[in-house]
Amino acid sequence: MKEHCDHQVDCLKMIQLILDGEATDQQLARLKANLVSCQPCIQMYHLEQEVKELLTKRMEKKCCPEKLVATIKSKILTFS
Amino acid sequence: MATIPEVMSDTPTRDDQDRSGGPAGPDQILPDGDPVEQPSADTPARRYTDEQKYQVFNKEFMPHIDSMYNFAFRLTTDEDDANDLVQDTYLKAFRFISSFEQGTNAKAWLFRILKNSFINDYRKKSKEPAKVDYQDVETTYNSEDAESEHTVDLRAESVSDLIGDEVATALNSLPVDFRTVIILCDIEGFTYEEMAKILDIPIGTVRSRLHRARNLLKEKLRDYASSMGYKEESEE
Repeated sequence: MKEHCDHQVDCLKMIQLILDGEATDQQLARLKANLVSCQPCIQMYHLEQEVKELLTKRMEKKCCPEKLVATIKSKILTFS
Repeated sequence: MATIPEVMSDTPTRDDQDRSGGPAGPDQILPDGDPVEQPSADTPARRYTDEQKYQVFNKEFMPHIDSMYNFAFRLTTDEDDANDLVQDTYLKAFRFISSFEQGTNAKAWLFRILKNSFINDYRKKSKEPAKVDYQDVETTYNSEDAESEHTVDLRAESVSDLIGDEVATALNSLPVDFRTVIILCDIEGFTYEEMAKILDIPIGTVRSRLHRARNLLKEKLRDYASSMGYKEESEE
């Protein structure tokens, strides 16, 4: 297991692409290899995944107030 | 009838100017793989009957209203401003509905209008603290030195206990351009290509801005994590 990674910045960029679903098959294959052999890559992967999850799942999703929906709908009707 | 020039005068952003050819209205969001057909002032707008307009509005635009409100709230960080921004955006979308092509990405089209309206009308009066000049930040974070420091000094276990409010505060403290890419990508799930169209920037810029935004965000989260008692193993 590698304790030190010389390309951390590039690996981090690759990890983000993969978590965003924007990576190529080649990048995916490289990550898979790193995830069994490179300690820093494993840590970065878990951290990026955790932060992304915080944003997608833990932050409150504000819903549009009903009143605003009604206002918009009524304003539209006066347009034509 | 000058629908498109009107859109322009409504949204005269710097971003809008740098696309070559054709005026930049919200009409530039096109479906993937579509021939890039830029409607211009000379092209007659799509003609919808009144009934069709309401139908498009209700079926294609209204389903996105919660996402739009959430986006507006995350940008303005204020409920009243979010209300105004969403209302303006929807009224604008209805007024320029003839430049929306049915079956194309309505959500991206609406997000683009909202983001332009925000830049023009709300950013100026926004109360967000600590305005940071985007160029400064971008330059600072461009250097590899700066980046390498930010890669591993926060651990997954230390952020797993953070709560939504802390994440929101950390996100709000980012300069708006950085905040925007994170919202679009991580909260709304847009692809890089859609983000490029919404923001009028090349995909490469989306990628690098997102990367820097996340490094900044992790730095903010690290502050919360350490205030909760997590220590960095290596340093102390």
